[in-house]
Amino acid sequence: MPGFDFSNFNRNSALHARGVPLPKATSTGTTIVGCVYDNGVVIAADTRATSGPIVADKNCEKLHYIAPKIWCAGAGTAADTEFTTALISSNVELHSLSTGRDPRVITCMTMLKQHLFRYQGHIGAYLVVAGVDPTGVGLYTVHAHGSTDKLPYVTMGSGSLAAMSVFESTWQPDLDKQGAITLCAEAIKAGIFNDLGSGSNVDVCVIEKDKPTQLMRNYEKPNERGTKERNYRFPRGTTAWLNQKIISKEDMKKYVTIETLSGDDNLAEKMEVDS
Amino acid sequence: MTSIGTGYDLSNSVFSPDGRNFQVEYAVKAVENGGTAVGIRCKDGVVLAVEKIITSKLLKPGANKRIATVDRHVGIVSAGLVPDGRHFVSRARDEASSWRGVYKGPIPTSALANRLGGYVQAYTLYSSVRPFGTTAIVAGWDSEAELAVDGQVGTGPSSGSGGKVEGAKGGGPGLYMIEPSGLYWVSSTSASASSPIYHPNPTILPGGYYGAATGKGRQAAKAELEKLDLSSGNLSLADGVKEAARIIYVAHEDSKDKEFELEMSWISSVDGPTKGRHEEVPKELREEAEKAAKRALEGEDEEEEEKMEE
Amino acid sequence: MVAPHGVTGMLGEDGIHVDMQHLKSGEVNLGTSIMAINFKDGVILGADSRTTTGAYIANRVTDKLTQVHDTIWCCRSGSAADTQAVADIVSYHLNMYGVTNNEAPSTQVAASLFQELCYENKDALSAGIIIAGYDPRHGGQVYSIPLGGSLHKQSFAIGGSGSTYIYGYTDAHWREQMTEQEGIDFVRSALQEAIKWDGSSGGVIRLVVLTKKGAVRHLYLPDNGYTGPGVTN
Repeated sequence: MPGFDFSNFNRNSALHARGVPLPKATSTGTTIVGCVYDNGVVIAADTRATSGPIVADKNCEKLHYIAPKIWCAGAGTAADTEFTTALISSNVELHSLSTGRDPRVITCMTMLKQHLFRYQGHIGAYLVVAGVDPTGVGLYTVHAHGSTDKLPYVTMGSGSLAAMSVFESTWQPDLDKQGAITLCAEAIKAGIFNDLGSGSNVDVCVIEKDKPTQLMRNYEKPNERGTKERNYRFPRGTTAWLNQKIISKEDMKKYVTIETLSGDDNLAEKMEVDS
Repeated sequence: MTSIGTGYDLSNSVFSPDGRNFQVEYAVKAVENGGTAVGIRCKDGVVLAVEKIITSKLLKPGANKRIATVDRHVGIVSAGLVPDGRHFVSRARDEASSWRGVYKGPIPTSALANRLGGYVQAYTLYSSVRPFGTTAIVAGWDSEAELAVDGQVGTGPSSGSGGKVEGAKGGGPGLYMIEPSGLYWVSSTSASASSPIYHPNPTILPGGYYGAATGKGRQAAKAELEKLDLSSGNLSLADGVKEAARIIYVAHEDSKDKEFELEMSWISSVDGPTKGRHEEVPKELREEAEKAAKRALEGEDEEEEEKMEE
Repeated sequence: MVAPHGVTGMLGEDGIHVDMQHLKSGEVNLGTSIMAINFKDGVILGADSRTTTGAYIANRVTDKLTQVHDTIWCCRSGSAADTQAVADIVSYHLNMYGVTNNEAPSTQVAASLFQELCYENKDALSAGIIIAGYDPRHGGQVYSIPLGGSLHKQSFAIGGSGSTYIYGYTDAHWREQMTEQEGIDFVRSALQEAIKWDGSSGGVIRLVVLTKKGAVRHLYLPDNGYTGPGVTN
């Protein structure tokens, strides 16, 4: 039989059910969001990358380019979001070239869902796809198993619950551009501050009709390392000593040979060692 | 023959400079030598008939059928090379069966004709094959009854499905003819994918031909078919059987020296004698039709004699 | 069905076999109430709008009524990914059927295609689908394809986790040859009941009415006890 061999899945599930812990895949705890407004769409992400309990990168990029006016925010397995978006970006560009039209958000979303469905969830990419195309504004979520949703505002990742609480309490129809940006940034901050897997800064991408896409890297930096209130350097002489003995270079020559080197770079080669 | 010696007729898939495919034209010649076959589309069914020339006294009468059943509701008769006709039928059965595999129901006759047309056409394209030496007449009755999905459980509400439009029937008779080039005619139905409009009278809807004829006596047969005014949709299946028999006898007039057997099949509407199935015309009915056919021919002769007397 | 979030590897009762039918961790589930009925002039499809991942509602305004051809629609229940993929494939084939045969596909054809996919891939899919379609010749028809991939032609069909609560209600209240308004009220009140009792169902009630006039969408919100606004197109 061609394709994946799933026989070990049964074994692992049985082992796991009997108490053997399964190895953890590296995934980015993440908060990503998206929100449409009257003339475009905004997506935003935090910038923390984790591997287990360690913060692997304090300022990573989770907003991925698909096409000039289609961008993607990624959560889940870092490598999978990176490679999946890169692959679809490539295919979208080839498709655009062969049709001679601007790529559409729904095309991109369909390519992503069909790719992810084929891999039955083994590609751990959870994505927010957003963009503007000739048909209008588009905003979708794509889950790793290949399901999609179309909504006016969306959140994903481990911080999605915190972020959604912001949207559900403060979102309103007829948002303008700045309103949407602020709302998305607030939602990401809810993730940064309340979700352990999310942290550091807020990246924002604004895709607007008839305007070039703006990627606002580190739109907000709510976790800048501030200057310390106090100085913890010990002044000279903090440690007391009982006695002091100074050995001069001349005294040292009694016990070892001392060679004084000049600043010449080729000196090492001139020295004959083990000849 | 102008084609001989030019080299353009040696391989399939080669055009002559004036745009002809001689291999296909030679295949048509093979058809023109075959026994006459006709099909008549009537208002409540379709008839197929074929003139089976007796090539040997040793062949068992009534055996070696030339009309084949492809699916319950479809029959095929062909003129030309008999083995080619058998392969064609085999393919038709595969197509009908594959349709059932996917759609869990009978293939519409037009869809079968479409697939077979594509199959025959492919045999004009490659140098490794030769075109079919047959012209086939495909006859079918697409059921006008409500069709179930094969394998479904249950039948829905006992009072029937809601919202049926009065007189919006589907189905009806279909008659198609596929030539060695792959050519066939399918009348475009008034229904389209985006706006399905159902014709109130299905008997004048699907199908390509009102009457079809091929083989040696096709010219005489076509002349007779045209006299029947089939497009008005008045001919009954019972009369169609008689006419088909008569036409085969008329078409045989030009090759009287050879003996022949008449083979006939029919497909009626669901409430007709065959209940929508493709079946051989019963022996008694066929013999009656043959008797009438012979009488009609003799009558023609008498008329001519009478004229002579004047 | 609600799988505990993040828990994998459930052993069967025999302690040996693993239940492959359960949703994988993080898979999006349509813990659902769906139904379709026959009425005097055609069919009505109805669904709640809740999509869940574990205990979290991933989408509270989901559209589980999916068009696969002009007047052939389906209600999806089970895995969102699986049912979306199946509906997309069927939609493709029905549109191809329409252009190659120069005739709109019948509801039977749609039901066959759904069944073929659901039965042949039964080991890999968790999809419970109800198909409802209308054409002038056959009128309105309702087919149900439950988990194993069997095909049932029914007067009306209910499905999803919430349907267990309304078997009695629907059986007691469904009548043949209801009027359009009676049909709408029946579906709406049945789904309202399913939503009330099933934790995995909720949100708004969406309806599609399929008659010779075409497809008409309805929306009913919880804010006013699922009484309106009604027709949305």
